[in-house]
Amino acid sequence: MRHIPAIAGREIRSIFATPVAYVIFSAYAVFAGFIFFASLGLFLTQLQQIQALGMLHLLEQWNLNDVVIAPAFFTFAIVFLILVPLLTMRAFAEERATGSIELLLTSPVSVWEIVIGKYLAVLVVVALLVVMTALYPGLLFLYGNPEVAQTLSGLLSLFCYGAGLAAMGCFVSALTQNQIIAAAVGIVAALLLLVLPAAAEGGENERVSELLRYLGTSTHYEQGLRGQLRSEDLAYFGAMVLIFLSLARAAIDSLRWR
Amino acid sequence: MIKVEGLTKRYGNLVALRDVSFEVAEGEVVGLLGPNGAGKTTAMRVLTGYLPATAGHVTIAGHALDREATAARRAVGYLPEVPPLYPEMRVADYVRYVAALNDVPRRERARKVEHALEVCGLEEVPGRVIRTLSKGFRQRVGLAQALVHDPPVLVLDEPTSGLDPVQISEIRALILSLSEERGRTIILSTHLLPEVEAICQRVMILAYGQMRLDSPLSEVHEQGTLEQVFLQKVEAAGAALGGGEARA
Repeated sequence: MRHIPAIAGREIRSIFATPVAYVIFSAYAVFAGFIFFASLGLFLTQLQQIQALGMLHLLEQWNLNDVVIAPAFFTFAIVFLILVPLLTMRAFAEERATGSIELLLTSPVSVWEIVIGKYLAVLVVVALLVVMTALYPGLLFLYGNPEVAQTLSGLLSLFCYGAGLAAMGCFVSALTQNQIIAAAVGIVAALLLLVLPAAAEGGENERVSELLRYLGTSTHYEQGLRGQLRSEDLAYFGAMVLIFLSLARAAIDSLRWR
Repeated sequence: MIKVEGLTKRYGNLVALRDVSFEVAEGEVVGLLGPNGAGKTTAMRVLTGYLPATAGHVTIAGHALDREATAARRAVGYLPEVPPLYPEMRVADYVRYVAALNDVPRRERARKVEHALEVCGLEEVPGRVIRTLSKGFRQRVGLAQALVHDPPVLVLDEPTSGLDPVQISEIRALILSLSEERGRTIILSTHLLPEVEAICQRVMILAYGQMRLDSPLSEVHEQGTLEQVFLQKVEAAGAALGGGEARA
């Protein structure tokens, strides 16, 4: 595993050597800021209306986390669904297209080291996106009193979700030489996993519905937004990472056999 | 230094290499000739561990490729037909990265990178971004990455492909110097006959996946010019196999 830092370091520098990373960060900052402050504006408007109407008892059921932070985080997850595959699209597809994968596969480096190194690089960028996200609820702590645990749980959920998507994106990128195909397939796959629980609604077979609900990323992600991130949710995202990285390893290994 | 026994490589029903055997002694510079599709690149890729053999054994510097793959790969410096470069990286950073992949100890890395850059005539451009270099310089960077860990064996797949005459001459001189510098064993594939005559001591001709000739260049010249011998061997291979049954 001693080659992982070299591979991850090169990958991170490479991500930031292209405009893609800066476009992603800028787009996310603008979009997340807009969503967050729009949610906050709506909260303040409704608060003023409640006070004007004298319905002060409603205020007991109101809090910043449920009305502002959680809905905004859910929207961020949808943004992640697009941004993370854009980050991972080049991981292996570019190496395959340019032939530099031959350098890695003829060096005394294991395929696991290659996969983990590249994955860690994307994970660092995902972590930076989560830190950037934390700035918005962080501002609320200056002026209000949101719940710390619920906010941290939401951020951890967002990170876990991003980590799962990154692993899936790495796998998709390992299947093709075309970065656009890698991004498109990654986004569609992430979308399918997100809406899987909705497909379970109204199903006649309860076992299948239960399975679909469990497999959906939103089932586990929403728990965290409510401040109820369970160990089974962490296990779900952990399994997602493990499965997709194993598949990515198999896909890269299979290049030798074609 | 390189020992290949009964090497066969199939892609499905297609036989790219058929029962190929040869040995290359320490310090030898051997040219692997063949027409397009003869199996040269496949042979190079098997030698470097990129592709597994369907049958047969390859030993590099005493390490069996199927049992001691990591040690065998460490003993080889490889320049594929298209240099495996990262265009956005700077020359020295790239060579340093390859040194790390090849387990060059951290304390020796700077010295070895500097040496590789110097040997390949890149000492003036260590800070240049690779995408801004000419094709000849990129080929030099490819060679620098192949030898930065000081491997005893260099495998070069069409090292002068696509270069202009001046660049070809420079790269040939560089390959000769690499051989003379430390007595490295070099096997290079090409379809350019003058290249073999300019650089190599021995020639192997691969046609339709079969080894048709393995001989010192001096002995080849007793049979005729290299071009005559080459054409004769390729035609004979084609006739023997019914015109391309085993074409890769």
